[in-house]
Amino acid sequence: MPILNSVYRHREAGHVLRDLADYRAVGGFSALVASVSDMEADDLLYVFHRSGLRGRGGAGFPMGRKASFLPKDAKLAKYVVCNADESEPGTFKDREIIEMNPFQLVEGVALAGYAIGAERGYIYIRGEYEYQARILDAAIRAAREAGYLGKNILRSNFSFDITLYRGAGAYICGEETGLLESLEGKRGQPRLKPPFPAVAGLYSSPTLINNVETLSALPPIVTKGADWYAALGPEKSPGTKIFSISGHVQRPGNYEVVLGETTIRELIYEHAGGLRDGRRVKAIWVGGSSVPVLGEQHLDTPLDYESLNAVGTFLGSGGCIVMDDSGCIVRATLRLASFYRHESCGKCTPCREGTTWMERILQRIVDGQGRMEDLELLESLFGRISGKVLCALADGAVAPVASALKMFRDDFVAAIEQGGTPRPEPMWPATPAQAR
Amino acid sequence: MTADQIRAHIEPIRDEFAESRSLVLPALKYAQTEKGHLTRDDLDAVAEATGFSPAYVESVASFYDRLYLEPTGTRVVSVCVTLSCMLRGADEVWEHLCEREGLSHHGGTSEDGRVTIQEAQCLGYCDHAPCIQVDADETLGPLTPEAASQLMDDLHVAPAPEEFWR
Ligand SMILES: Cc1cc2nc3c(=O)[nH]c(=O)nc-3n(C[C@H](O)[C@H](O)[C@H](O)COP(=O)(O)O)c2cc1C
Ligand code: SF4
Ligand code: FES
Repeated sequence: MPILNSVYRHREAGHVLRDLADYRAVGGFSALVASVSDMEADDLLYVFHRSGLRGRGGAGFPMGRKASFLPKDAKLAKYVVCNADESEPGTFKDREIIEMNPFQLVEGVALAGYAIGAERGYIYIRGEYEYQARILDAAIRAAREAGYLGKNILRSNFSFDITLYRGAGAYICGEETGLLESLEGKRGQPRLKPPFPAVAGLYSSPTLINNVETLSALPPIVTKGADWYAALGPEKSPGTKIFSISGHVQRPGNYEVVLGETTIRELIYEHAGGLRDGRRVKAIWVGGSSVPVLGEQHLDTPLDYESLNAVGTFLGSGGCIVMDDSGCIVRATLRLASFYRHESCGKCTPCREGTTWMERILQRIVDGQGRMEDLELLESLFGRISGKVLCALADGAVAPVASALKMFRDDFVAAIEQGGTPRPEPMWPATPAQAR
Repeated sequence: MTADQIRAHIEPIRDEFAESRSLVLPALKYAQTEKGHLTRDDLDAVAEATGFSPAYVESVASFYDRLYLEPTGTRVVSVCVTLSCMLRGADEVWEHLCEREGLSHHGGTSEDGRVTIQEAQCLGYCDHAPCIQVDADETLGPLTPEAASQLMDDLHVAPAPEEFWR
């Protein structure tokens, strides 16, 4: 069971690193010191590139490559934007990093800023993370007081500061252009791409947008070296990834694993404590909820981008939701459809109407009002939503529904034939939290 | 809240943004901390402080779930009903709380005006499922219906917070 807590320093240290002194004691800010004092920005960019680090927010795009898309000769200011909107169902890894190790993120944002020649970074955090926002705010202030942010950092020519920006409850503000709109003080509705943010992002300026986990990986990549990182795991999916696991498992939580070296089975049964006695896996949404669902037959798939693509799904955000055979796939699928209906920003008709219809049809199947034609009706919707819209939310809405209908068709048919599906008994917590 | 109070909050951060429009959301969030929701006067004050029209300010405010344009209870309790929480009993918690407060399963504000309960989408605490959030700064879980009920008992008698961050 290879577990390697080697990238996120609070995991490596085994304790919270909320004080600057504690973070420095484990090597914190040495990457920034080394970079600004004797590294060219382009060389730093090349380190990111060579590490093979891929974006951890969902799309998995190589981080160094994205950073290199920013025009070098632009007269406009450049920006780093950190996506801390973390609203993908089943995902809570960024929350952990911010709560337990906020300085590593601050250092990562500053390193990215140095590499691309930015003077300001923004961290956009979801409004529901007010508790985490306060921790991060305190860390940014402490870093500034210590001279790691601000004018002429550590007496170098590099000036850089970070602004924390709070969202106000909208999943779509996690989509990068929705986020930029929100950060510009507008309704958070996605923009047409291209232009991509690297060319015209925040205030139409070149902008690098990365997830919390992605940016937090930069300091150890700089101190331990790109080769060290690139050597972890498979060539195309190097590094470690924090998987959030929840649902019907005994030990829900975050687990940092080397990509490609751990299977879904090991994540569920060894790290997350397995299922309740006598239960078997029914469904797994391995990369958050916007991905095609997997079944028990996929348990031995290694957790990395390519292996998951090979079985028809995505690594996504690494928010792994597990449902055992006590659960009802029709109800679970309906619940996800409701999520997307609620979160569609409404700008594109196929997404706004399509998510409404998917929910409505699934609801009537659950309620016992479904007809066999409803399954074809659902299927006919998928192609009319995907590819006809501005952003990937719509594909994310279709993926869990289309895949469930394909893999578990019998369950949908049974629900229609039997006049609905009863609500299963949930898995109650073993030890409920005490209300204060 | 007055335009002057809002100005005092946003002026110190004005330089951090190339365009002042970015101040609209922080201004709205801050204005809401006074009463827990935004009145017509609050929207006008945000408009005055930021230099954008009241209609624009309202169009932004209406986009975000956590900006309230109608009065709410003293505390807003958000019960996560997304998949991971559903698998661990969120629907049971939700229905129990609604019934306890004498509300339909759509939620709403309790008769004494102390609490508003609403369904929420994934709160990022799926490892604590089923979880609920009180305003935006306190998230609790895993909860049984009974434990959630106890929390509501507390909320009905707890003093109002000094600022409403929700
Ligand atoms: C509907 C939708 C929601 C998203 N939500 C998030 C999010 O909460 N956090 C995040 O980092 N990326 C999210 N993304 C992905 C971002 O658009 C973007 O790809 C990512 O922030 C890039 O950072 P990375 O390359 O480091 O992953 C979302 C995408 C979509 C389509
Ligand atoms: S696809 Fe959906 S969420 Fe994305 S911009 Fe269009 S309507 Fe909004
Ligand atoms: S599903 Fe409830 S917190 Fe994520």
